[in-house]
Amino acid sequence: MIFPDGKIRFHERRDFMDKKIGRREFFKRSAKIGISAAVGYGFVSCSGGEEVVSTGGDSVDVTVATGNDYFANTVKAVENLGGMSKFVPKDARVAILPNSQSRHPGTFTKAEVIHAVVEMCQKAGAAEVNCLTWLKPENWEASGLDVAVKEAGANLKFIAAEEANFKVVPVQGWKAHQELMIMKEFYNNDVFIDMPVTKDHAGNKFTGTMKNLMGLNYRPNNRLFHKEDWATNPESIQFLDQCIVDMNKAVTPTLCVVDATEFITTNGPFGPGELTKPQKVIAGVDRVAIDAYCTTLWGLTGEEIYAIKLGFEQGLGEMDLNKVRIEQITA
Amino acid sequence: MIFNILLSVLLVLPQAVLADQGTPADVLPKDGDIESWIRHRPQQHYAGEALYEYINGGAEIYHEYGFVQVIVQDYVNDLGKSVSVEIYEMTSPASAYGMYTFKTNSKGKRISIGCDAQLADYYMNFWKGPFLVTLTGFDETEETREGLLNIAKSVSSKIPVGGKNPRIVSLLPEEDLVAQSYKYFTGFLGLRNSHPFFSLDILGFEEGIKGDYFGGFSFFLFCFEGEQESRKVFQSMKGQKDRRGRSFFVATHRKYLMMVLGDADQLEAERVFDRAREIIQE
Repeated sequence: MIFPDGKIRFHERRDFMDKKIGRREFFKRSAKIGISAAVGYGFVSCSGGEEVVSTGGDSVDVTVATGNDYFANTVKAVENLGGMSKFVPKDARVAILPNSQSRHPGTFTKAEVIHAVVEMCQKAGAAEVNCLTWLKPENWEASGLDVAVKEAGANLKFIAAEEANFKVVPVQGWKAHQELMIMKEFYNNDVFIDMPVTKDHAGNKFTGTMKNLMGLNYRPNNRLFHKEDWATNPESIQFLDQCIVDMNKAVTPTLCVVDATEFITTNGPFGPGELTKPQKVIAGVDRVAIDAYCTTLWGLTGEEIYAIKLGFEQGLGEMDLNKVRIEQITA
Repeated sequence: MIFNILLSVLLVLPQAVLADQGTPADVLPKDGDIESWIRHRPQQHYAGEALYEYINGGAEIYHEYGFVQVIVQDYVNDLGKSVSVEIYEMTSPASAYGMYTFKTNSKGKRISIGCDAQLADYYMNFWKGPFLVTLTGFDETEETREGLLNIAKSVSSKIPVGGKNPRIVSLLPEEDLVAQSYKYFTGFLGLRNSHPFFSLDILGFEEGIKGDYFGGFSFFLFCFEGEQESRKVFQSMKGQKDRRGRSFFVATHRKYLMMVLGDADQLEAERVFDRAREIIQE
């Protein structure tokens, strides 16, 4: 939950975490859809066209749903975590943060993913779903997401890029960036769902759940992440990554739903670039684990991305995917 | 009198040069220029720092290479297909070439438009003079690809100047070089993005080029202001490793620093270094 003091408390999340699905329960559940084989550390099951592959520890931390119906993937990914009602209490106001940076293919969160999340929130009893952005309406119009968000039944709220619309939020345990300026409207919500598209980024090589939060922060404040020599001095590039991690210390999503259906692996974040189409939607709470998993979709590892490594070292989540319970669902 | 005439010529010259190369708006196709494609939506224009408004989070690389302005115009055809055209005016042909290599890779189909052009699944890039032109289709149909090519040809025909690759490009050994794998860089951001596992701190170079080789390695050539600067960086390279913790080979020759990164043994690296030294001396 997000409270007006800027602190975020997660009763729902704790509840969810307390009820982590144990390996035994997972087997029991999996038996219902028919476990057919065990492969190494993970196991594979196939039944009625559905496949589940699970790796890692004892509880489901991350769900990966694969298939060419992106709406269905999104629903399945969240359902496998226990359903949207685990994260969205009745009458909650939900803030969602999809990425609508560019209209080039593979650079923005797909309409189907947004639609599925909004619909699940509504079914869970959300009072309202608010899509927040300080980007210009043209960005949303160009990607077609303005229509998609409205058709899904969410409010698309354009926050004018004026200082008065943002509030100073101190970063507890900061290392590079002491204060954020988060849009005030964000704090009128109870639940926050981070919805990036994972893709290449010329500055950080990778963008995912952690970097997406820059979409909540006042643009001039984001600019402070970039030192004057950030493109020429390796230390300043690392400073940028540390700022992203610091931001994630002050703002914690209730849930992350990542669009990895189609995304660019070159010329990011704006494109156009080389497209890869893993047709996956990833859901979970652990941002570091999700981002580390997403790097593997295009031949990288979490360790190779400095922000992920720092996020792990500073306690934001788990980078070692062998320690993360990842369930793969294939429709 | 003669002085006044000379002065007038000197004052007018820079503008005349500008007029000769054209502006992005000058080289944009008008309605009727391309059969069955017309302009759609208002034109957008961003100059200097305003590029951040258009490319949120990705403008820095353009500025590193040298950005002046960009114009964006959409086109639609009678089947409802659309193509977006971005014409970036860079500070020089070398800047345009650099951004072109940044945005292309060896997987694209090379085509003959402008100084160099490449067609990918749904988009294409070409450069000519100080312009980098990026055209994006929003599907992979034949009509869209045809539109990309026709619009690109029209833009190219309106750019009155050409351009040559920076000289350093010709210093790459050609044997076993993967076609279109060049990355030309003038700053650290371009360098870091030139190779998926690049994490080395190489500072102070004036320009550089990278090519991939069929042996599974990349060869980098950096040009410094002088021999002293290149040797200084050479000394600092000891102990550095790539993003995957792998070692690499490095050598100097005059004001150049050479590096082999990837699957190459010492013999192969020395062979490439020797060949590059020969080319530099020629």
